[in-house]
Amino acid sequence: MKNINGDSYEIRLEEDKATISFKGALRLSGTDDYGPILEMLKGTLMNPAMPIVLDFRELDFLNSSGITMFSRFVIEARDRSGVNLHFLASEAIPWHARSLKNLQRLMPTLEIQMS
Amino acid sequence: MISQTLGENGHHTAGQCEYLTLAFSPLSAPLRSRWRNNGLSADFLGDYVTTFLPADGNDSGAEKRQSQIRHAVTYIANELLENAMKYHERQTDIPIGIHLELGVDDISVSASNGVGFIKAEHYKSYVEDILKEDPADLIAKHMEGSATENEPNKSCLGLLTMMNDYGARLGWTFEVHPTYSGMMIVTTRAVLSLKSFPGVSA
Repeated sequence: MKNINGDSYEIRLEEDKATISFKGALRLSGTDDYGPILEMLKGTLMNPAMPIVLDFRELDFLNSSGITMFSRFVIEARDRSGVNLHFLASEAIPWHARSLKNLQRLMPTLEIQMS
Repeated sequence: MISQTLGENGHHTAGQCEYLTLAFSPLSAPLRSRWRNNGLSADFLGDYVTTFLPADGNDSGAEKRQSQIRHAVTYIANELLENAMKYHERQTDIPIGIHLELGVDDISVSASNGVGFIKAEHYKSYVEDILKEDPADLIAKHMEGSATENEPNKSCLGLLTMMNDYGARLGWTFEVHPTYSGMMIVTTRAVLSLKSFPGVSA
């Protein structure tokens, strides 16, 4: 288990399941500040046989720099063969339905499970 | 350089709106310590606006609609403030402002900051371009481009997502500063139609 925590957010990687859970509000200021999170995400691509799950169901807020960071990860996942990427999202959190579709457009095989 | 308005003009008729303005002095704290305040201010504006927007009746979707409006205002205010803080001309005491205006049919959120003529001209040229193209296509282009750049255009995706994901109409005002030579006040405005949140009226 690996964690990255900030004042307003918690990120938890369960390595045995290649699941990363996000909680709180991500409002970091740009590429440099999002770097450690992007590196954690990219680490899941080392074992492409396992489905990669990003759980956003408790991520209440994401700024556009955060959306850019996730787009970089999705493009990297798309450009490697055999990566199986899933997002878990919530209808109760408005940005999920509004913005995650932009990431799915980059990688049409990306599955978004809305609950 | 002359004063100019592009895109949406968000002025309401006097007396027909409620408004709230917050202003920050750029000299009083460094950018990094300001950053947390952006989130606090944006959350405050999102919470504040919903108190003026009672839901119609007791229908089951009322809470969801309030949540949608709160989130849209918070997201837009946060993005506008982040951009204003990032691009503000350092070493001037021109305040950075965020302004929320609640009209009969829409909500307007705008942020203003001071920039030099050259940066203002670049920004104006950029917004003229985004007004001509489909924001969904531009988002895809931005994302593909950012994957190969170390430092992608930071303000670009915020403006595009406001338009594409939240249906905001954007407008910009470029005004020559009355006292600072070579400086402009740039205001970026996002207008949300209340009709896009069915069941809520002011």
